[in-house]
Amino acid sequence: MAEVLVPIGPQHPALKEPVSFRVWADGEVIVRLEMDVSYNHRGIEKGAEQRDFHRTLPLLERICGICSHSHTTVFAKGIEALMQVEAPPRARAIRTVVAELERVHSHLLWLGVAAHEVGFNTLFMWTWRDREAVQDVLEALTGNRVNYGINAVGGVRRDWPPDLVSTALDRVAPLGDRVRLYADMVAREKTMLARFTGVGKLTREQVLAYGAVGPTARASGVDYDVRRDDPYLDYARLPWKVITDDHGDVLGRTLVRVGELHESLNMIQVLLRDLPPGEIRAKVPRTAPPGEFLSRYEAPRGELVHFLRTNGTDRAERVDVRTPTMANWTSVAMALRGRWLADIPVIVAAIDPCLSCTSRVSLADPEGRDRGGMTWDELREHGIRFYAEGRHER
Amino acid sequence: MANLPVLSEMFGNLGSRPSTVLYPFVKVPVPEGFRGRVAVDDSRCIGCGKCVQACPASCVEMVKDEREVEVKGRRITRKRRPEVMVFRCIRCGLCEDSCAQDPKAIFLTPAFAGSGPDRRLVVR
Amino acid sequence: MTVPALLLHLLVFPGLLFLVSWSLALEWVDRKVAARMQSRVGPPPLQPLADFVKLLGKEVIQPGGAGGRVLGLAPLLSFASVATAFLLLPVSGSSPLGFQGDLVVALYLLTVPTVALLLVGWSSSNVFAAVGGVRAVTQMFIYEVPFYLALLGPALLAGSWSVSGIVEWQAGRPWMGILQPVGLLVGLVGLQAKLERTPFDIPEAETEIVAGPLTELTGRRLAVMHLAKDALLAAGCALLAALFLGGPLRPFSAALPGAVEGFLWFAAKTLLLLLVLSTMRAATARIRIDQLDAWGWKVLCSLALAQMALVPFLASWME
Repeated sequence: MAEVLVPIGPQHPALKEPVSFRVWADGEVIVRLEMDVSYNHRGIEKGAEQRDFHRTLPLLERICGICSHSHTTVFAKGIEALMQVEAPPRARAIRTVVAELERVHSHLLWLGVAAHEVGFNTLFMWTWRDREAVQDVLEALTGNRVNYGINAVGGVRRDWPPDLVSTALDRVAPLGDRVRLYADMVAREKTMLARFTGVGKLTREQVLAYGAVGPTARASGVDYDVRRDDPYLDYARLPWKVITDDHGDVLGRTLVRVGELHESLNMIQVLLRDLPPGEIRAKVPRTAPPGEFLSRYEAPRGELVHFLRTNGTDRAERVDVRTPTMANWTSVAMALRGRWLADIPVIVAAIDPCLSCTSRVSLADPEGRDRGGMTWDELREHGIRFYAEGRHER
Repeated sequence: MANLPVLSEMFGNLGSRPSTVLYPFVKVPVPEGFRGRVAVDDSRCIGCGKCVQACPASCVEMVKDEREVEVKGRRITRKRRPEVMVFRCIRCGLCEDSCAQDPKAIFLTPAFAGSGPDRRLVVR
Repeated sequence: MTVPALLLHLLVFPGLLFLVSWSLALEWVDRKVAARMQSRVGPPPLQPLADFVKLLGKEVIQPGGAGGRVLGLAPLLSFASVATAFLLLPVSGSSPLGFQGDLVVALYLLTVPTVALLLVGWSSSNVFAAVGGVRAVTQMFIYEVPFYLALLGPALLAGSWSVSGIVEWQAGRPWMGILQPVGLLVGLVGLQAKLERTPFDIPEAETEIVAGPLTELTGRRLAVMHLAKDALLAAGCALLAALFLGGPLRPFSAALPGAVEGFLWFAAKTLLLLLVLSTMRAATARIRIDQLDAWGWKVLCSLALAQMALVPFLASWME
């Protein structure tokens, strides 16, 4: 049979955000594919350079709807390091709790999405039902379900009264059993196992070569987690362990995430039972001295990196965001080759892609000399010109 | 072949109430401290303009509106008051944090739904 | 049969009017049960009808290069075949249109929608529809063999090739579902595959190939195709109920029941089978076509063959 071009995306029911796979298939088998990831550039990095630190946080929070807390924490942590201030212990604990709650809701969401991609909508409905409990807790603790707005440079913006903490504890406690139940279901559901086992296989060597991060890497036996290997917030003092697995396939990634759910729920309960007293916000200077800092953070999807450069003013000179999805794309492309057409949704979903967060613009001068950036106005003009000339339609 | 946990959960659900909340027919509980739609209490505002400085979405603007207000026991004439483009607001609450008045003159209410055809609520 | 009675039979009960309302009712039950199992509320009773009427009023859009005539005719052909097959099945008593060999005709007519899907997919000028159409037919070759084998078991045992004849044979004897439980199981799985419902919704896999062959069907074409699917569900359940559960027969009774009682028994058995199908749909994930290929031939087909091999022994034991 002749090879057929199957366009998966930029609009496709399996994808909740725009990305384009041009897949050449021989019947049902993928021969090769091309990927185009940048459909939703929002100029957030540029925008972050135009605002002072405090006004940058709500902007960075909107990079991603799922790991919104990750982006603000990693930025605040970097700026605090550059300013040489430290958030008080209570603020660090509160940040950790929100970070782990975020991981729980993100992994529950992922479990549902993965089930949906293989057509198991019942599990999708159930995990999302229980994810709702986590979102309600986050809403009560921070004031919003998505953009928590809890972080500030130097600490957190809200303190939690004891009764709020104890209600949150009561609502988080039963989740462990639910997660165990879902893991049990996945382990027994033969149709689901058939779609997960051996699919999207990546060896440890491949993972290291392609630079995959997070649960994708840990499912292939790479024992790496920023929370342990470059501790920040309260992780160094908490009882938890890094979950790894050596299946290397989608099943392995499921097992890692389920394990992380238990670890996170445990950490949340330990922290909420014993929140350190004291201030929630340190006094911070208005400006940060000139310097550079590479701030790392273990987001639910893997290692998130913000590169920050300050120049003595009240705003950053450069903010560079490397999201975990960006690091995982190569491994997806490699895992897809030679697989079935039907495996595309589940392999892509297995890295838990966050597509709009990965959109980047880089400039290349044909002469190869100037690698500089654009100003805000230039970027805006470029965008208007790009669409006016119809260049987005290739 | 049969997956007992799945089956028992499925038939258990047949006997229990659905988890779906039939919003808007049913009221959803809004927790205390929810960051909803922004509101301005004109009687307390002293027109300092700190909220304009703080707003990341630039949705607060000072407009001319003179009136007598009382600050720490002194009576002064404030020159301007803030006007908010409600549907441009991202509900971060930084304006509330920055407000020097107690109780706050600009604050977030628990109201979360809303839309309007008025262009001035979104852009200038 | 007089002409008015025939017209009544064709157009009202158990013909067109009854079939349409019964199919939509079954779709509602299926959706509602699945929704409640998933802890959702589910649609109100008239939702399937509302969907149907709404789709009828929508504009028909078709891509350039698509075969308009095929896209227009295939849904009608599917529905017509299924509706014809339904006339041959016993709903309230033996079907007056039944004849010796109507089982084969019914099985044949119930296959038409799948072939129509291939035609629709092939002439849609859309790669997702084409892949879906090919998948539909590939899947058909896998499930049809065990499905037919399972349904021929009762025919062989009863010594009749008429559906109503098999029902009459079961009066006073244990039902076929008790004599041939494996056949009933294979029949249910085959029907699920025929209806393209999870875990066999491979041709319509939403997250893989959008809507499969239905991708480019719009407006009334889509409405009629959905209706044909619902009618297929009604007809498939009726066929299995007749062959394995005695159709309109009362349990533990040799006498043929009256029309109203017969219909109530038929409805109860259909709903029971539908509940099994809905449970199967809600409790599984979609498998891949290669996995279905391996499992269908190795497991399902072997089971059906084993059941067939038992039929002669059963027959001599029943003597």
